[in-house]
Amino acid sequence: MSAMTEYEVRELCNEFFDAYQDGRVDVLRRIMSDDCIVWHNVYGRDTTRDQNLEAYPDSYTGQRRRTYNDRIINAFDDGFVIQYSLNGVMHTGHKGALWICIVGRVRDGKITRIDEYMDSSKFAAWMGGPRA
Amino acid sequence: MTVDTTHRRLCHALFDALEQGDVDGVDACYAPDMTMWINVSGETITREANLEAVDKGRGLHRRRLYNDRNINSFDDGFVVQYTTHVVTHDGTEVPLSACLVAEVRDARITKLFEYLDTTQFRSRARSKKARSKKTESERTESRQPEPT
Repeated sequence: MSAMTEYEVRELCNEFFDAYQDGRVDVLRRIMSDDCIVWHNVYGRDTTRDQNLEAYPDSYTGQRRRTYNDRIINAFDDGFVIQYSLNGVMHTGHKGALWICIVGRVRDGKITRIDEYMDSSKFAAWMGGPRA
Repeated sequence: MTVDTTHRRLCHALFDALEQGDVDGVDACYAPDMTMWINVSGETITREANLEAVDKGRGLHRRRLYNDRNINSFDDGFVVQYTTHVVTHDGTEVPLSACLVAEVRDARITKLFEYLDTTQFRSRARSKKARSKKTESERTESRQPEPT
């Protein structure tokens, strides 16, 4: 196990969000460890990397584009915290933004855990109505 | 004392003071120009507004604990993932997972960013109340005399 530098941690964080933005599931699979766990405060439960990546296409339903902007990243010994805006453009043309915070754990150049915090009461306004 | 230790102590001092409703203790953790941003409203409030909210919030619940504090520090701040455990005046217990990012300067907090899910808090509070009402109605029902 080798420690990662702050630069490497920041680069890994940005690579993760770029891949999520561009729909690069292959990159996500490469930079998330096999045993990576994703936890959402909205559901309060853990999901595996594979469950998360399988759900990726469905999570895009009704959306034309998603961008992960205003990234404020702080790195610590074995992870990072990122605060960002998730900007979405729906097929209806509606534009919405969500403010999200993720705490990530890293090991050997990969992300091993993701804890995501957001306010689900903002979902409806973000989508601009029921999903198409 | 290392920066890491300073920031961790500051985080615990803030949460301990919040638990105890100690407004002066909370104030001691803040820089004079401290601001707080909350994802629920998307608004930034001043230190004075935050302290006023802490003061007013003291009587809202019977007890509020900040448990499971998972703290990581970086050069000019810290992030803490935690569970707010609220006990309301009617005894309802509501846990809520939240995350706080803090910017620190000279051992005082200059900015706070709070992320939580309000839907979760409301639905848990509602479902626990509903369960408690159901239990009460079941108790009432069980006290009804058997039909003859």
